[in-house]
Amino acid sequence: MILSPYFYSQAIKLALSQIWANRKRSLLTALGIIVGVASTTSVIAALSGLKTSVLTEFESFGANRIYVFPDRPDDKPRNLYPREKIRIKPWEVRELQASCPSLRAITPVTEFGVSIASDERELDGITVVGIWPDWHEAENRRVISGRKFNRIDEVGERQVCLLNESAIDELRLPSDAVGSHILVDGRRFLVVGVIETLQARMFGGDSNTAELFIPFSVAIKLQSTEYFLRVIALAKSAEVSEEAKSEIQRTMRRIRGIQPGDPDTFRAEAIDRYIDQFKTLASGITAIAAGIVGISLLVGGIGIMNIMLVSVSERTREIGLRKAVGATPAAIMMQFLLEAMVLCLAGGLVGVIIGKLFAIGLTLIPGARLENADVPMWAVFLSFAFSAAVGLGFGFFPALKASRLDPIEALRHE
Amino acid sequence: MIRVRQMKKIYRVGEEEIRALRGVDLHIGKNEMIAVMGASGSGKSTLMNIIGCLDKPTEGSYELDGHDVSQMSEASLALVRNEKIGFVFQSFELLARQTALENVELPLIYSREAGLTSRERTRRALHALDRVRLSDRVTHRPNQLSGGQKQRVAIARAILNKPAILMADEPTGNLDSVTTTEIMEIFRQLHAEGQTVLIVTHENEVAAYCQRVIRLRDGLVLSDLPIAQDQAGQVIA
Repeated sequence: MILSPYFYSQAIKLALSQIWANRKRSLLTALGIIVGVASTTSVIAALSGLKTSVLTEFESFGANRIYVFPDRPDDKPRNLYPREKIRIKPWEVRELQASCPSLRAITPVTEFGVSIASDERELDGITVVGIWPDWHEAENRRVISGRKFNRIDEVGERQVCLLNESAIDELRLPSDAVGSHILVDGRRFLVVGVIETLQARMFGGDSNTAELFIPFSVAIKLQSTEYFLRVIALAKSAEVSEEAKSEIQRTMRRIRGIQPGDPDTFRAEAIDRYIDQFKTLASGITAIAAGIVGISLLVGGIGIMNIMLVSVSERTREIGLRKAVGATPAAIMMQFLLEAMVLCLAGGLVGVIIGKLFAIGLTLIPGARLENADVPMWAVFLSFAFSAAVGLGFGFFPALKASRLDPIEALRHE
Repeated sequence: MIRVRQMKKIYRVGEEEIRALRGVDLHIGKNEMIAVMGASGSGKSTLMNIIGCLDKPTEGSYELDGHDVSQMSEASLALVRNEKIGFVFQSFELLARQTALENVELPLIYSREAGLTSRERTRRALHALDRVRLSDRVTHRPNQLSGGQKQRVAIARAILNKPAILMADEPTGNLDSVTTTEIMEIFRQLHAEGQTVLIVTHENEVAAYCQRVIRLRDGLVLSDLPIAQDQAGQVIA
């Protein structure tokens, strides 16, 4: 039995006119669907907004940043892995730089305590950090005046340094400290730039410590030969950060000659573990929202079924007439299924619109970190798919009842 | 055109058997205009339902337009109704929210004629409305029409697909005598144009428009006579 396109256009037109003619009843009937779809889409909108802002936060904190440390394997005798064996050496960092195409920037970082002095003041036990120029990119810290380190500083082992604002305060340097000189471990260093003070972020970070940065090549000369270093690397993007991590692991094992089966003598870690945790949390909440929508759609569906049964009973004579002029049981069934689906889809549409308005409302809440809240397209499609499925599922029984009406009885119905 | 042989219809209500038709033989030729009469319980409605393909006989054969339709499936019977039978009911059965034109077009929704353009549908519906002299009311809704006009819309709907047989069940039962005349004139005119018409009625004035009267009693044909003889018999009785 094939129904003509004219049948479908008429059936949908009829369904819409039925909804319009009984608009109050239709609204109340579709309320379950409307509430279900509206609440789910707004929860999804809030989550997606939160996700965007949290991921941006992670990004600035370093979603694609990878740290490499020396690491002594657990449950192995200490004497098999002496300090010198596991210590990361500068040539290893250069090798990583050459062999890891997924990295955008890489820098060794070595820290040691020294005394520093300005004309005004002398400070003991200040942490000095030795870095490559790549550090600026890897750490993403702004230079608020002066300039960044460059290759000439590093290769020429120039005695230049960068300070943060607390260091300037503590050394009583002029607020524009660029061009001043300070003594680091008795040597004269030129201040070439001022680094922004670390902002307090979601994951802490001490903002008030005095910081002093010098070129890595200079820093290793100021230390004993067995100095300790770690590596900060930046993947080209968050997507390739896993790949970058494995490139680092492969390269390190190769240059250290670690046999297959032997443990790593270093550790490479990315921040995306936290992102994964957050994503797990977000999908958990999405699943709960889906459960809620399931329940409200069930309730909505029962309402739909009820109203469709009422409609079938009210229109018994019409059904009888349609059968008399040639409607097959399948045609009657299809007409009532379409009517239930159109009703549900109309409810879904209203729900999506309300959800969208909620999402816009969420973006206007100050300080809620939901500026990016929006209903994603997949949620819109899913809402419509669910609504149509509810119409189909709960409209089936009333439609079956209509299709099975005996035309003679139906035409006699009062 | 219509040939009914030994038709029986038995309903079962619980333990009881109701024999609505107990062996009816009937032949209706092309372009006849026939009245079917009988008291309630005579089997008249059952016979009309079966002839109208709304119901199936328990026994016997029913040949419509050369095809045996007595044992067809429900879906096939729906198609037969769509293409070969036009119904006119006592209470019009128009869809309240649709215009006269849309009401007349209704059977085309279920037509198996593929690729009917909307222009062609409208043309056919307008032609049907013209045949019942209602061309000036096509955009009116049922609540804007008089009883006679409603019944004319219903007749237009019934003749839309050029049915083999036009069946009217008490078509004037809800109408006054002036309107009854108006509607019966329409049936007479359609008959003059070649339409086979079968009218169920209990009014002799309505039957008087027909050429032949079939009277039923207790599930059997009591008499099947040309109108003149039938009316004469009624006078004697």
